[in-house]
Amino acid sequence: MKADRRRVLALAVCAGEIMLKNGAETYRVEDTIVRICKAYGISNVESFVTPTGIFVTVDYENGSDEPITFIKRIKTRTIDLNKVSKVNTFSRSLMDTRYSIENGLRILKDIESYPTYPKYIRVFCAGLASSFFGALLGAGILDFLSSFTISMIVFLAVNYLERHQANFFIQNALGSAIASLLALLFVYLGFGINLDKIIISSIMILLPGVAITNAVRDSISGDLISGTARGVEALITAISIASGVGIIMNLWIHSLGGRF
Amino acid sequence: MLTQFIYAYISTVGFSLLFNIPKSAILKSAMVGALGWLIYSEVHQFSQSAILSTFLGACVVSVLSEIFARKFKEAVTVFVIPGILPLVPGSGMYNTMLALIQQNFSTAALIGSETIFIAGSIAVAILLVSSFTRLIFLKKI
Repeated sequence: MKADRRRVLALAVCAGEIMLKNGAETYRVEDTIVRICKAYGISNVESFVTPTGIFVTVDYENGSDEPITFIKRIKTRTIDLNKVSKVNTFSRSLMDTRYSIENGLRILKDIESYPTYPKYIRVFCAGLASSFFGALLGAGILDFLSSFTISMIVFLAVNYLERHQANFFIQNALGSAIASLLALLFVYLGFGINLDKIIISSIMILLPGVAITNAVRDSISGDLISGTARGVEALITAISIASGVGIIMNLWIHSLGGRF
Repeated sequence: MLTQFIYAYISTVGFSLLFNIPKSAILKSAMVGALGWLIYSEVHQFSQSAILSTFLGACVVSVLSEIFARKFKEAVTVFVIPGILPLVPGSGMYNTMLALIQQNFSTAALIGSETIFIAGSIAVAILLVSSFTRLIFLKKI
């Protein structure tokens, strides 16, 4: 019975880990862990999740057995809402069909290794998202094309930095610095007209929309620690983007006088 | 107005693929984002207040996301995150930085505080809508 509890807990923590790593809100992770444990008949379970770690404890009903605690440290976080959605559906399906724990673990492994959209599509979409955002701001065809190109390059650069485990401050600062440098170059060469529109639409893909949304959603569910942590993440991301743009524009204005 | 809708739609499709949203939800979340942007731009045209229009746009995005999430049995974030992105004040951030570099501190303070309020209004919109939906439907999705 004891081994059984351990394995249920391992399954629940594994599900929680996948969700938290891929950008779920913390209350959703806590709910999922509790839901999975309950589906296997363990009702005395407490989970506490922050953006950087998962803590779960299982106690026995009559207190005759020893409590078990799992701690899982989460070091890297990306955004892959497909996996969040799949684990969410999986944990809900446990209510109706009870998989064996081996099967459950296998399903979770499948979800974890589920591929993202191919890279060329994501690069193209980065371009699409920013250039059409530029069109919303009223950019002409030249600005549209240059922000399309620049944001694809920015996406590739940030992706490269992410694979080499640069922290998110460096990723965003370098990304926005590259965006503004290329925008200056494009305007200088005559491929673009409005510098501001090109830069604004190219940094769109870096903006902390996920962090803002999750910060609010965590705070209203009462997870004040996670809410604050994600709020700070959003703030630091914004500062890093601003500093990347700022450094390049500062150099340009103070060395060349803001002209070409 | 139709062109604005189409641009916003395509832009949100791009964002949703960047965040690896499930295939079945891409077109729906783009619809959420495009409608949110439409409200934003219409309200902005007639009220001239970026804060009010962002607030209303974000409200529309979150209400639609809560409805879609319940209807299509997905997590709410799948719709909110790409939908909200066009409203995030990137241009305010850029203009604040530019004013700071040019040592126009009063302009920087003006635009900067407006940018912070815009970000705040997005947060308040999500907060209000999801608090109310939790009151109405006690079940979390």
